[in-house]
Amino acid sequence: MSVIKVSHITKDYGNQRGVFDVSFEMNEGEVLGFLGPNGSGKTTTIRQLMGFMKPDQGEVTILGMDCFNDSAKVQEKVGYLPGEIAFMEDMSGLEFIRFMAKMKNMKDMSKAEELMKFLELDARGKMKRMSKGMKQKIGIVIAFMQDTPILILDEPTSGLDPLMQNKFVELIQNAKKAGKTILMSSHIFEEVENTCDRVVMIKEGHIVATKTMDDLKKNRLKHYEIHFFDESEAIAFSQKYPQSQRDKKIIHLMLKGHTNQLLQDLSEYDIDDFNARPQSLEELFLHYYGGEQ
Amino acid sequence: MSMVLFKREWKSNYKIFLIFIAIMTLYESIIVAMYDPKLGESLNMMAESMPQLFAAFGMTDPGLTLLDFLTNYLYGFILIIIPLVYIMIMCHRLMARYIDKGSMAYLLATPHKRSDIFITQLCVLLSGVIGLIVYSVVLILGCSSMMFHESIDIAKFLMTNVGLLGVHFFFASFCYLTACSFNEVKLSIGIGAGVGVISILIQMLSQVSDKIEFLKYFTPLTLFDAKGLQVYDQQSLLCMAGLFALAVICIVIGCMNFSKRDLPL
Repeated sequence: MSVIKVSHITKDYGNQRGVFDVSFEMNEGEVLGFLGPNGSGKTTTIRQLMGFMKPDQGEVTILGMDCFNDSAKVQEKVGYLPGEIAFMEDMSGLEFIRFMAKMKNMKDMSKAEELMKFLELDARGKMKRMSKGMKQKIGIVIAFMQDTPILILDEPTSGLDPLMQNKFVELIQNAKKAGKTILMSSHIFEEVENTCDRVVMIKEGHIVATKTMDDLKKNRLKHYEIHFFDESEAIAFSQKYPQSQRDKKIIHLMLKGHTNQLLQDLSEYDIDDFNARPQSLEELFLHYYGGEQ
Repeated sequence: MSMVLFKREWKSNYKIFLIFIAIMTLYESIIVAMYDPKLGESLNMMAESMPQLFAAFGMTDPGLTLLDFLTNYLYGFILIIIPLVYIMIMCHRLMARYIDKGSMAYLLATPHKRSDIFITQLCVLLSGVIGLIVYSVVLILGCSSMMFHESIDIAKFLMTNVGLLGVHFFFASFCYLTACSFNEVKLSIGIGAGVGVISILIQMLSQVSDKIEFLKYFTPLTLFDAKGLQVYDQQSLLCMAGLFALAVICIVIGCMNFSKRDLPL
């Protein structure tokens, strides 16, 4: 049975904003990346999963329970990180974490303390004076501290510096090892690339692609940048590879496989410099994002 | 009902409660001290010289006993407006700002039903209102027994305060209903507070002149008839019961609204 099931939900805000006929399922232990540009409907979908709003049409269930009507029961199983930071600012960070722990009927605070240590968070100050990054860490602690089997994280790394983003990836990988089901929305491709099993792409409220990470990686092109000494050689080479782009002496080439062939071909020329890198997810998805334009 | 949330709200809001206690202490002790059985006559003369101004604040007949005096000078205006302001502030702090700013998301991301959160915050609100009125009763009784030999008729005095409680339960439930039902503070608090303030203004107007007395049918404050309650007039008692009933209706509608609606979190 799928842990999270979103079937044909529509929530229309008017002006073509909202989500339209969105469906996806998540199995136990799966980490799903929910990708899309700002305003594409990621948060709207998550709000319905959290039971903050009812879909106009369709159904959202977690562990077979309706997310709106059984929200209190669903929440026992879910750790949630909101996309917008809105704490009770009259409390200190530590007070807020303890308060939330009590609201969640938690008795054991060891996990929360472990998380604070891991994220190098000193939460004693008033939350009013905290930076965005610190508040985000508090949110992460609250989402993870109860050790729930399901995690729903809305843009979890926003506000974190690169070092902390890496720590967060580690946190997700550990949670994945522990068998948790994780839904993570993001518009940062690297964090998704390093953590997710599968990716759902949403654009303007419609799902445009659902792909497994293996699938994506398999179909991934290599990006080559080749600097020639002589422009005429560059022209000759580009005629051999019509899909390449030439900028004077520099050739940009996207290629899947055929590495040997390329090296053999290149050996015939006088090469100044050579760079190769895998195509980023961003480039891979550009045609989904940029499409229809 | 969540005790954890109840405690946290009181801890976060007790200072506001204390400020209102201080304001009420100031006003009530001064008004009680102003009472002088002999002064009654000169006050009556003042009231005769500018009847409309006095009437606007519900001070039509200064009367002779301490209870009459207090009913005129406290229960007509001061004890209506002060708790009402407290109610407006608390509705904002307990509900409207959480919805507007989005921190309600954290409260709902816990294994509590929306109705639990609703009831808990309502209990914080109503316990504060009860606290203010109980304090005011104790303060007035204390002040008057310290300053004067004449004692207040306790039963009548308490009856007046039950009526006052009815008014504020109604205002509190109504403000809370609007606070739960709208997303933006300007609507959620604006409507609730607006209705409260307009109710008071309409009552003031309706008392000024017989020509516009009909206005009294447009304000819930007419249901609170202190002088009628003091003589156990049946109609006044029914009106008071009506206030409590309206409060219950507002609470039920509010709870249903809040449990079913989409929240912008």
